[in-house]
Amino acid sequence: MDRRKLTLIALGAAAVLTLADFLLASFVAAPVLADMTLDTAGVNIGGKLIANPILFSQKIFYFHVPVAIASFVVFFFTAFYGVRFLMTRDRAFDTKARIATEVTLMFTLLTMLTGDLWTRVEWGVWWVWEPRLTTYLIMLLLVIGYFVLRASVEDEQKRAVYAAAFGIIAFLDAPLSFAITRIVPSGSHPVVFRAGGGLDAWQLTAFLLGMLGMLCFGYVIYQLRYREERVRERIDVLKAMLED
Amino acid sequence: MAGAVQPKVKGLSWRQFVAILRKDIVMELRTFEMLTSMGLYTLLTLVIYQIALSQSGSGFDVRLIAAGLLWLAFVFTSMLGLNRSLVHEKDQGCLEALLLSPVDRPVIFFAKAVGNLIFLLVVEVITMPLFFVMFLSSRPLGGSWWMIPIALLVGSIGIAGVGTLLATISVNTRGRDFILAVLFVPIMYPLLLAAVGATSAAVLGNPGYLEEFWRDLALAGGYDAIMLLAAYGLYEFVIGA
Repeated sequence: MDRRKLTLIALGAAAVLTLADFLLASFVAAPVLADMTLDTAGVNIGGKLIANPILFSQKIFYFHVPVAIASFVVFFFTAFYGVRFLMTRDRAFDTKARIATEVTLMFTLLTMLTGDLWTRVEWGVWWVWEPRLTTYLIMLLLVIGYFVLRASVEDEQKRAVYAAAFGIIAFLDAPLSFAITRIVPSGSHPVVFRAGGGLDAWQLTAFLLGMLGMLCFGYVIYQLRYREERVRERIDVLKAMLED
Repeated sequence: MAGAVQPKVKGLSWRQFVAILRKDIVMELRTFEMLTSMGLYTLLTLVIYQIALSQSGSGFDVRLIAAGLLWLAFVFTSMLGLNRSLVHEKDQGCLEALLLSPVDRPVIFFAKAVGNLIFLLVVEVITMPLFFVMFLSSRPLGGSWWMIPIALLVGSIGIAGVGTLLATISVNTRGRDFILAVLFVPIMYPLLLAAVGATSAAVLGNPGYLEEFWRDLALAGGYDAIMLLAAYGLYEFVIGA
Protein backbone atom coordinates (compact mmCIF):
# COMPACT_ATOMS: atom_id res chain seq x y z
CA MET A 1 0.00 0.00 0.00
CA ASP A 2 1.40 3.36 -0.93
CA ARG A 3 2.17 6.28 1.30
CA ARG A 4 -1.00 8.20 0.60
CA LYS A 5 -3.27 5.39 1.70
CA LEU A 6 -1.15 4.71 4.74
CA THR A 7 -1.31 8.38 5.70
CA LEU A 8 -5.07 8.43 5.32
CA ILE A 9 -5.46 5.30 7.41
CA ALA A 10 -3.17 6.74 10.05
CA LEU A 11 -5.19 9.94 10.07
CA GLY A 12 -8.38 8.00 10.63
CA ALA A 13 -6.73 5.91 13.31
CA ALA A 14 -5.38 9.02 15.03
CA ALA A 15 -8.78 10.64 15.08
CA VAL A 16 -10.55 7.56 16.39
CA LEU A 17 -7.92 6.71 18.96
CA THR A 18 -7.58 10.18 20.43
CA LEU A 19 -11.33 10.61 20.50
CA ALA A 20 -11.69 7.32 22.30
CA ASP A 21 -8.94 8.40 24.68
CA PHE A 22 -10.63 11.67 25.56
CA LEU A 23 -14.08 10.17 25.90
CA LEU A 24 -12.82 7.41 28.12
CA ALA A 25 -10.74 9.80 30.13
CA SER A 26 -13.57 12.21 30.65
CA PHE A 27 -16.39 9.82 31.45
CA VAL A 28 -15.13 6.38 32.28
CA ALA A 29 -11.67 6.52 33.79
CA ALA A 30 -11.66 6.94 37.52
CA PRO A 31 -10.57 10.34 38.75
CA VAL A 32 -7.43 10.46 40.81
CA LEU A 33 -7.77 11.34 44.44
CA ALA A 34 -5.51 13.60 46.38
CA ASP A 35 -3.84 11.92 49.31
CA MET A 36 -6.05 12.82 52.24
CA THR A 37 -4.18 10.73 54.78
CA LEU A 38 -1.58 13.44 55.24
CA ASP A 39 -3.95 16.11 56.43
CA THR A 40 -7.53 15.35 57.33
CA ALA A 41 -8.57 18.97 57.21
CA GLY A 42 -7.85 19.20 53.54
CA VAL A 43 -5.11 19.49 50.95
CA ASN A 44 -3.27 22.74 50.51
CA ILE A 45 -3.34 23.62 46.83
CA GLY A 46 -1.90 27.01 45.93
CA GLY A 47 -2.55 28.42 49.34
CA LYS A 48 -6.16 27.35 49.57
CA LEU A 49 -7.41 24.48 51.68
CA ILE A 50 -9.23 22.06 49.42
CA ALA A 51 -11.41 19.60 51.20
CA ASN A 52 -12.61 17.82 48.09
CA PRO A 53 -10.11 15.06 47.32
CA ILE A 54 -11.05 14.53 43.69
CA LEU A 55 -8.43 15.93 41.33
CA PHE A 56 -10.18 16.51 38.06
CA SER A 57 -7.23 18.52 36.90
CA GLN A 58 -5.30 15.28 36.67
CA LYS A 59 -7.30 14.36 33.58
CA ILE A 60 -5.12 16.61 31.50
CA PHE A 61 -2.60 13.81 31.95
CA TYR A 62 -4.36 11.89 29.19
CA PHE A 63 -3.41 14.55 26.71
CA HIS A 64 -0.22 15.88 28.20
CA VAL A 65 1.78 12.67 28.55
CA PRO A 66 0.94 11.19 25.11
CA VAL A 67 1.97 14.47 23.50
CA ALA A 68 5.15 14.58 25.56
CA ILE A 69 6.15 11.05 24.65
CA ALA A 70 5.23 11.65 21.00
CA SER A 71 7.47 14.70 20.91
CA PHE A 72 10.37 12.66 22.16
CA VAL A 73 9.72 9.86 19.66
CA VAL A 74 9.70 12.33 16.78
CA PHE A 75 12.85 13.94 18.14
CA PHE A 76 14.50 10.55 17.79
CA PHE A 77 13.78 10.74 14.08
CA THR A 78 15.52 14.10 13.87
CA ALA A 79 18.66 12.46 15.18
CA PHE A 80 18.11 9.35 13.06
CA TYR A 81 17.77 11.29 9.83
CA GLY A 82 20.72 13.40 10.89
CA VAL A 83 22.84 10.29 11.19
CA ARG A 84 21.59 9.00 7.83
CA PHE A 85 22.40 12.32 6.22
CA LEU A 86 25.94 12.32 7.56
CA MET A 87 26.36 8.78 6.30
CA THR A 88 24.98 9.31 2.81
CA ARG A 89 25.04 13.10 2.20
CA ASP A 90 21.62 12.73 0.60
CA ARG A 91 19.68 15.99 0.80
CA ALA A 92 16.40 14.18 1.23
CA PHE A 93 17.47 13.12 4.71
CA ASP A 94 18.20 16.71 5.61
CA THR A 95 14.69 17.70 4.59
CA LYS A 96 13.27 14.79 6.57
CA ALA A 97 15.24 15.79 9.64
CA ARG A 98 14.05 19.36 9.38
CA ILE A 99 10.42 18.34 9.11
CA ALA A 100 10.75 15.90 11.99
CA THR A 101 12.10 18.78 14.06
CA GLU A 102 9.15 20.94 13.07
CA VAL A 103 6.76 18.26 14.30
CA THR A 104 8.83 17.95 17.48
CA LEU A 105 8.50 21.68 18.00
CA MET A 106 4.75 21.49 17.67
CA PHE A 107 4.45 18.62 20.15
CA THR A 108 6.87 20.23 22.58
CA LEU A 109 4.88 23.46 22.53
CA LEU A 110 1.71 21.51 23.22
CA THR A 111 3.46 19.71 26.08
CA MET A 112 4.63 22.95 27.61
CA LEU A 113 1.22 24.54 27.26
CA THR A 114 -0.72 21.70 28.83
CA GLY A 115 1.96 21.19 31.44
CA ASP A 116 1.77 24.84 32.38
CA LEU A 117 -2.00 24.67 32.64
CA TRP A 118 -1.66 21.59 34.78
CA THR A 119 0.74 23.18 37.22
CA ARG A 120 -1.44 26.25 37.42
CA VAL A 121 -4.61 24.35 38.23
CA GLU A 122 -3.15 21.64 40.39
CA TRP A 123 -0.36 23.40 42.23
CA GLY A 124 -1.52 26.97 42.00
CA VAL A 125 1.64 28.37 40.47
CA TRP A 126 2.33 29.30 36.87
CA TRP A 127 5.71 27.65 36.69
CA VAL A 128 7.77 25.31 38.81
CA TRP A 129 11.32 24.17 38.21
CA GLU A 130 10.52 20.51 38.55
CA PRO A 131 12.34 17.87 36.48
CA ARG A 132 9.84 17.25 33.73
CA LEU A 133 8.92 20.86 33.04
CA THR A 134 12.56 21.90 33.11
CA THR A 135 13.56 19.12 30.74
CA TYR A 136 10.86 20.14 28.34
CA LEU A 137 11.95 23.73 28.50
CA ILE A 138 15.44 22.58 27.61
CA MET A 139 14.05 20.51 24.76
CA LEU A 140 12.10 23.52 23.52
CA LEU A 141 15.29 25.59 23.61
CA LEU A 142 17.17 22.85 21.76
CA VAL A 143 14.58 22.69 18.99
CA ILE A 144 14.46 26.47 18.70
CA GLY A 145 18.25 26.49 18.62
CA TYR A 146 18.13 23.98 15.76
CA PHE A 147 16.03 26.35 13.69
CA VAL A 148 18.09 29.40 14.64
CA LEU A 149 21.18 27.51 13.53
CA ARG A 150 19.59 26.57 10.24
CA ALA A 151 18.57 30.16 9.59
CA SER A 152 22.03 31.55 10.20
CA VAL A 153 24.02 29.44 7.74
CA GLU A 154 23.78 30.40 4.08
CA ASP A 155 25.64 27.58 2.40
CA GLU A 156 23.27 24.67 1.90
CA GLN A 157 25.75 21.87 2.38
CA LYS A 158 27.17 23.42 5.55
CA ARG A 159 23.71 24.09 6.89
CA ALA A 160 22.70 20.48 6.46
CA VAL A 161 25.85 19.13 8.11
CA TYR A 162 25.66 21.51 11.07
CA ALA A 163 21.96 20.89 11.57
CA ALA A 164 22.50 17.13 11.49
CA ALA A 165 25.36 17.33 14.00
CA PHE A 166 23.42 19.59 16.34
CA GLY A 167 20.30 17.46 16.02
CA ILE A 168 22.25 14.38 17.12
CA ILE A 169 23.83 16.14 20.08
CA ALA A 170 20.51 17.70 21.07
CA PHE A 171 18.80 14.32 21.02
CA LEU A 172 21.50 12.90 23.27
CA ASP A 173 21.12 15.86 25.59
CA ALA A 174 17.39 15.52 26.23
CA PRO A 175 17.39 12.24 28.23
CA LEU A 176 20.57 13.30 30.01
CA SER A 177 18.77 16.45 31.04
CA PHE A 178 15.83 14.42 32.28
CA ALA A 179 17.99 12.04 34.28
CA ILE A 180 20.12 14.74 35.85
CA THR A 181 17.27 17.06 36.77
CA ARG A 182 15.66 14.11 38.48
CA ILE A 183 18.68 13.14 40.51
CA VAL A 184 20.15 16.51 41.46
CA PRO A 185 17.71 17.87 44.01
CA SER A 186 16.59 21.35 43.16
CA GLY A 187 15.08 22.47 46.40
CA SER A 188 11.52 22.36 47.61
CA HIS A 189 8.55 22.97 45.40
CA PRO A 190 4.87 22.45 45.97
CA VAL A 191 3.74 18.90 45.36
CA VAL A 192 0.32 17.44 45.71
CA PHE A 193 0.65 13.83 46.75
CA ARG A 194 -1.61 11.33 45.12
CA ALA A 195 -3.25 8.39 46.78
CA GLY A 196 -2.12 5.13 45.23
CA GLY A 197 0.49 4.68 42.51
CA GLY A 198 -0.44 2.97 39.29
CA LEU A 199 -3.19 3.28 36.75
CA ASP A 200 -6.20 1.01 36.88
CA ALA A 201 -7.60 -0.76 33.83
CA TRP A 202 -9.71 2.02 32.32
CA GLN A 203 -7.14 4.68 32.99
CA LEU A 204 -4.47 2.58 31.39
CA THR A 205 -6.66 1.87 28.37
CA ALA A 206 -7.43 5.53 27.88
CA PHE A 207 -3.78 6.44 28.20
CA LEU A 208 -2.57 3.80 25.75
CA LEU A 209 -5.22 4.71 23.19
CA GLY A 210 -4.21 8.31 23.45
CA MET A 211 -0.56 7.36 23.17
CA LEU A 212 -1.14 5.42 19.97
CA GLY A 213 -3.38 8.13 18.63
CA MET A 214 -0.77 10.83 19.19
CA LEU A 215 1.93 8.79 17.49
CA CYS A 216 -0.33 8.27 14.47
CA PHE A 217 -1.08 11.97 14.54
CA GLY A 218 2.61 12.80 14.53
CA TYR A 219 3.19 10.45 11.62
CA VAL A 220 0.34 12.01 9.64
CA ILE A 221 1.57 15.56 10.14
CA TYR A 222 5.10 14.53 9.23
CA GLN A 223 3.97 12.83 6.01
CA LEU A 224 1.76 15.70 4.92
CA ARG A 225 4.47 18.23 5.59
CA TYR A 226 7.09 16.14 3.82
CA ARG A 227 4.90 15.83 0.80
CA GLU A 228 4.44 19.59 0.77
CA GLU A 229 8.20 20.03 0.89
CA ARG A 230 8.74 17.63 -1.99
CA VAL A 231 6.20 19.49 -4.12
CA ARG A 232 7.92 22.77 -3.25
CA GLU A 233 11.29 21.36 -4.28
CA ARG A 234 9.91 20.17 -7.57
CA ILE A 235 8.42 23.60 -8.22
CA ASP A 236 11.80 25.16 -7.56
CA VAL A 237 13.46 22.80 -9.98
CA LEU A 238 10.85 23.55 -12.64
CA LYS A 239 11.24 27.27 -12.09
CA ALA A 240 14.99 26.96 -12.52
CA MET A 241 14.45 25.00 -15.71
CA LEU A 242 12.08 27.66 -17.07
CA GLU A 243 14.62 30.36 -16.46
CA ASP A 244 17.20 28.67 -18.63
CA MET B 1 39.92 15.20 1.04
CA ALA B 2 39.22 14.25 4.58
CA GLY B 3 41.50 11.77 6.36
CA ALA B 4 44.20 10.97 3.87
CA VAL B 5 45.74 7.52 4.17
CA GLN B 6 49.01 7.70 6.06
CA PRO B 7 51.74 5.14 6.68
CA LYS B 8 51.49 3.67 10.15
CA VAL B 9 54.18 5.70 11.87
CA LYS B 10 54.24 5.13 15.57
CA GLY B 11 53.32 8.10 17.66
CA LEU B 12 52.29 10.21 14.68
CA SER B 13 48.91 11.15 16.08
CA TRP B 14 50.48 12.14 19.37
CA ARG B 15 53.06 14.32 17.64
CA GLN B 16 50.36 15.98 15.56
CA PHE B 17 48.30 16.56 18.67
CA VAL B 18 51.23 18.10 20.50
CA ALA B 19 52.11 20.26 17.50
CA ILE B 20 48.64 21.76 17.19
CA LEU B 21 48.31 22.22 20.93
CA ARG B 22 51.73 23.86 21.14
CA LYS B 23 50.81 26.22 18.31
CA ASP B 24 47.77 27.41 20.22
CA ILE B 25 49.63 27.81 23.48
CA VAL B 26 52.62 29.59 21.95
CA MET B 27 50.31 31.94 20.10
CA GLU B 28 48.55 32.68 23.33
CA LEU B 29 51.77 33.17 25.27
CA ARG B 30 52.97 35.70 22.71
CA THR B 31 49.95 37.95 22.86
CA PHE B 32 48.10 36.91 26.04
CA GLU B 33 45.05 38.13 24.24
CA MET B 34 42.64 35.40 25.19
CA LEU B 35 43.75 35.00 28.78
CA THR B 36 43.61 38.70 29.56
CA SER B 37 40.24 39.18 27.96
CA MET B 38 38.82 36.07 29.65
CA GLY B 39 40.32 37.00 33.00
CA LEU B 40 39.12 40.59 32.82
CA TYR B 41 35.69 39.42 31.76
CA THR B 42 35.44 37.15 34.80
CA LEU B 43 36.57 39.94 37.08
CA LEU B 44 33.96 42.26 35.64
CA THR B 45 31.34 39.58 36.16
CA LEU B 46 32.31 39.45 39.82
CA VAL B 47 31.84 43.20 40.02
CA ILE B 48 28.41 42.85 38.49
CA TYR B 49 27.62 40.23 41.09
CA GLN B 50 28.41 42.78 43.73
CA ILE B 51 25.95 45.15 42.11
CA ALA B 52 23.32 42.42 42.03
CA LEU B 53 23.90 41.55 45.68
CA SER B 54 24.30 45.11 46.89
CA GLN B 55 20.74 45.40 48.16
CA SER B 56 20.62 42.00 49.79
CA GLY B 57 21.66 43.18 53.22
CA SER B 58 24.30 41.91 55.59
CA GLY B 59 22.30 38.94 56.82
CA PHE B 60 22.14 37.37 53.39
CA ASP B 61 24.16 34.19 53.12
CA VAL B 62 25.94 34.40 49.80
CA ARG B 63 27.15 30.85 50.19
CA LEU B 64 23.70 29.61 49.22
CA ILE B 65 24.17 30.88 45.68
CA ALA B 66 27.97 31.06 45.59
CA ALA B 67 28.37 27.89 43.53
CA GLY B 68 25.87 29.13 40.98
CA LEU B 69 27.55 32.53 40.74
CA LEU B 70 30.93 30.92 40.25
CA TRP B 71 29.77 28.65 37.48
CA LEU B 72 27.84 31.45 35.83
CA ALA B 73 31.01 33.50 35.58
CA PHE B 74 32.88 30.59 34.03
CA VAL B 75 30.10 29.80 31.57
CA PHE B 76 30.06 33.36 30.22
CA THR B 77 33.82 33.48 30.08
CA SER B 78 34.09 30.16 28.31
CA MET B 79 31.58 31.24 25.67
CA LEU B 80 33.87 34.18 24.99
CA GLY B 81 37.02 32.09 24.96
CA LEU B 82 35.65 29.25 22.85
CA ASN B 83 34.70 31.47 20.00
CA ARG B 84 37.92 33.42 20.23
CA SER B 85 40.01 30.29 19.85
CA LEU B 86 38.45 29.48 16.50
CA VAL B 87 37.90 32.95 15.06
CA HIS B 88 41.63 33.39 14.51
CA GLU B 89 41.83 30.11 12.66
CA LYS B 90 39.00 31.02 10.40
CA ASP B 91 39.95 34.60 9.67
CA GLN B 92 43.61 33.90 9.02
CA GLY B 93 42.92 30.87 6.91
CA CYS B 94 44.63 28.51 9.35
CA LEU B 95 41.65 26.21 9.32
CA GLU B 96 41.98 25.48 5.62
CA ALA B 97 45.69 24.89 6.01
CA LEU B 98 44.99 22.52 8.88
CA LEU B 99 42.42 20.64 6.84
CA LEU B 100 44.76 20.35 3.87
CA SER B 101 47.53 18.82 5.93
CA PRO B 102 47.25 15.05 6.50
CA VAL B 103 46.09 15.33 10.08
CA ASP B 104 43.32 13.14 11.41
CA ARG B 105 40.25 15.20 12.24
CA PRO B 106 39.85 13.72 15.73
CA VAL B 107 43.39 14.87 16.50
CA ILE B 108 42.37 18.42 15.65
CA PHE B 109 39.38 18.03 17.93
CA PHE B 110 41.42 16.85 20.89
CA ALA B 111 44.10 19.45 20.37
CA LYS B 112 41.58 22.28 20.21
CA ALA B 113 39.54 20.93 23.11
CA VAL B 114 42.56 20.47 25.34
CA GLY B 115 43.78 23.95 24.42
CA ASN B 116 40.43 25.42 25.39
CA LEU B 117 40.44 23.38 28.58
CA ILE B 118 43.86 24.68 29.55
CA PHE B 119 42.85 28.29 29.01
CA LEU B 120 39.62 27.80 30.93
CA LEU B 121 41.48 26.15 33.81
CA VAL B 122 44.00 28.98 33.95
CA VAL B 123 41.19 31.52 34.14
CA GLU B 124 39.51 29.47 36.87
CA VAL B 125 42.71 29.22 38.88
CA ILE B 126 43.09 32.98 38.73
CA THR B 127 39.46 33.70 39.54
CA MET B 128 38.92 31.29 42.42
CA PRO B 129 41.00 33.21 45.00
CA LEU B 130 39.37 36.46 43.91
CA PHE B 131 35.94 34.96 44.29
CA PHE B 132 36.83 33.63 47.72
CA VAL B 133 38.13 36.95 48.88
CA MET B 134 35.20 38.91 47.55
CA PHE B 135 32.30 36.70 48.52
CA LEU B 136 33.25 33.78 50.72
CA SER B 137 35.63 35.24 53.25
CA SER B 138 33.09 35.71 56.00
CA ARG B 139 32.33 32.09 56.79
CA PRO B 140 34.40 28.92 56.46
CA LEU B 141 33.80 26.38 53.76
CA GLY B 142 31.50 23.51 54.54
CA GLY B 143 33.49 20.81 52.81
CA SER B 144 37.15 20.21 52.15
CA TRP B 145 38.94 22.76 49.99
CA TRP B 146 40.10 20.25 47.40
CA MET B 147 36.55 19.33 46.43
CA ILE B 148 35.91 22.56 44.57
CA PRO B 149 38.86 22.23 42.14
CA ILE B 150 37.78 18.68 41.32
CA ALA B 151 34.24 19.81 40.55
CA LEU B 152 35.63 22.65 38.44
CA LEU B 153 37.84 20.24 36.54
CA VAL B 154 35.08 17.78 35.71
CA GLY B 155 32.75 20.55 34.63
CA SER B 156 35.40 22.32 32.59
CA ILE B 157 36.21 19.13 30.69
CA GLY B 158 32.62 18.94 29.51
CA ILE B 159 32.47 22.65 28.70
CA ALA B 160 35.70 22.53 26.69
CA GLY B 161 34.85 19.34 24.82
CA VAL B 162 31.29 20.06 23.73
CA GLY B 163 32.02 23.77 23.51
CA THR B 164 34.75 23.15 20.96
CA LEU B 165 32.31 21.29 18.73
CA LEU B 166 29.65 23.97 19.09
CA ALA B 167 32.15 26.78 18.55
CA THR B 168 33.38 25.12 15.35
CA ILE B 169 29.78 25.15 14.16
CA SER B 170 28.99 28.67 15.30
CA VAL B 171 32.14 30.29 13.96
CA ASN B 172 30.93 29.47 10.46
CA THR B 173 27.56 31.11 10.90
CA ARG B 174 26.40 34.69 10.55
CA GLY B 175 25.83 35.60 14.19
CA ARG B 176 28.82 33.90 15.81
CA ASP B 177 28.66 34.59 19.52
CA PHE B 178 24.92 34.67 19.61
CA ILE B 179 24.61 31.30 17.89
CA LEU B 180 27.16 29.83 20.26
CA ALA B 181 25.16 31.05 23.24
CA VAL B 182 21.88 29.73 21.81
CA LEU B 183 23.36 26.30 21.18
CA PHE B 184 25.58 26.20 24.24
CA VAL B 185 23.18 26.83 27.11
CA PRO B 186 20.58 24.09 26.49
CA ILE B 187 23.25 21.49 25.72
CA MET B 188 25.27 22.41 28.80
CA TYR B 189 22.31 22.58 31.12
CA PRO B 190 22.58 19.07 32.64
CA LEU B 191 26.33 19.41 33.13
CA LEU B 192 25.99 22.80 34.78
CA LEU B 193 23.25 21.54 37.05
CA ALA B 194 25.39 18.66 38.22
CA ALA B 195 28.51 20.82 38.55
CA VAL B 196 26.71 23.51 40.54
CA GLY B 197 25.22 20.79 42.73
CA ALA B 198 28.61 19.32 43.46
CA THR B 199 30.25 22.71 44.08
CA SER B 200 27.37 23.83 46.24
CA ALA B 201 27.60 20.69 48.35
CA ALA B 202 31.28 21.43 48.89
CA VAL B 203 30.69 25.07 49.75
CA LEU B 204 27.74 24.66 52.08
CA GLY B 205 28.68 21.44 53.80
CA ASN B 206 25.15 20.55 54.83
CA PRO B 207 24.67 17.11 56.42
CA GLY B 208 25.07 14.45 53.77
CA TYR B 209 27.11 16.74 51.54
CA LEU B 210 29.81 14.19 50.87
CA GLU B 211 27.59 11.69 49.13
CA GLU B 212 25.76 14.45 47.32
CA PHE B 213 29.12 15.78 46.10
CA TRP B 214 30.28 12.44 44.74
CA ARG B 215 26.89 11.67 43.24
CA ASP B 216 26.73 14.95 41.36
CA LEU B 217 30.33 14.53 40.31
CA ALA B 218 29.49 11.08 38.95
CA LEU B 219 26.59 12.58 36.99
CA ALA B 220 28.83 15.29 35.56
CA GLY B 221 31.42 12.65 34.69
CA GLY B 222 28.77 10.55 32.96
CA TYR B 223 27.68 13.57 30.96
CA ASP B 224 31.28 14.26 30.00
CA ALA B 225 31.84 10.70 28.83
CA ILE B 226 28.72 10.55 26.67
CA MET B 227 28.99 14.02 25.19
CA LEU B 228 32.71 13.88 24.53
CA LEU B 229 32.21 10.65 22.65
CA ALA B 230 29.45 12.23 20.57
CA ALA B 231 31.50 15.38 19.93
CA TYR B 232 34.52 13.30 18.94
CA GLY B 233 32.40 11.34 16.50
CA LEU B 234 30.74 14.37 14.97
CA TYR B 235 33.76 16.64 14.74
CA GLU B 236 35.03 15.09 11.55
CA PHE B 237 31.85 16.00 9.72
CA VAL B 238 31.56 19.44 11.20
CA ILE B 239 35.05 20.63 10.48
CA GLY B 240 35.07 19.25 6.97
CA ALA B 241 31.86 20.97 5.95
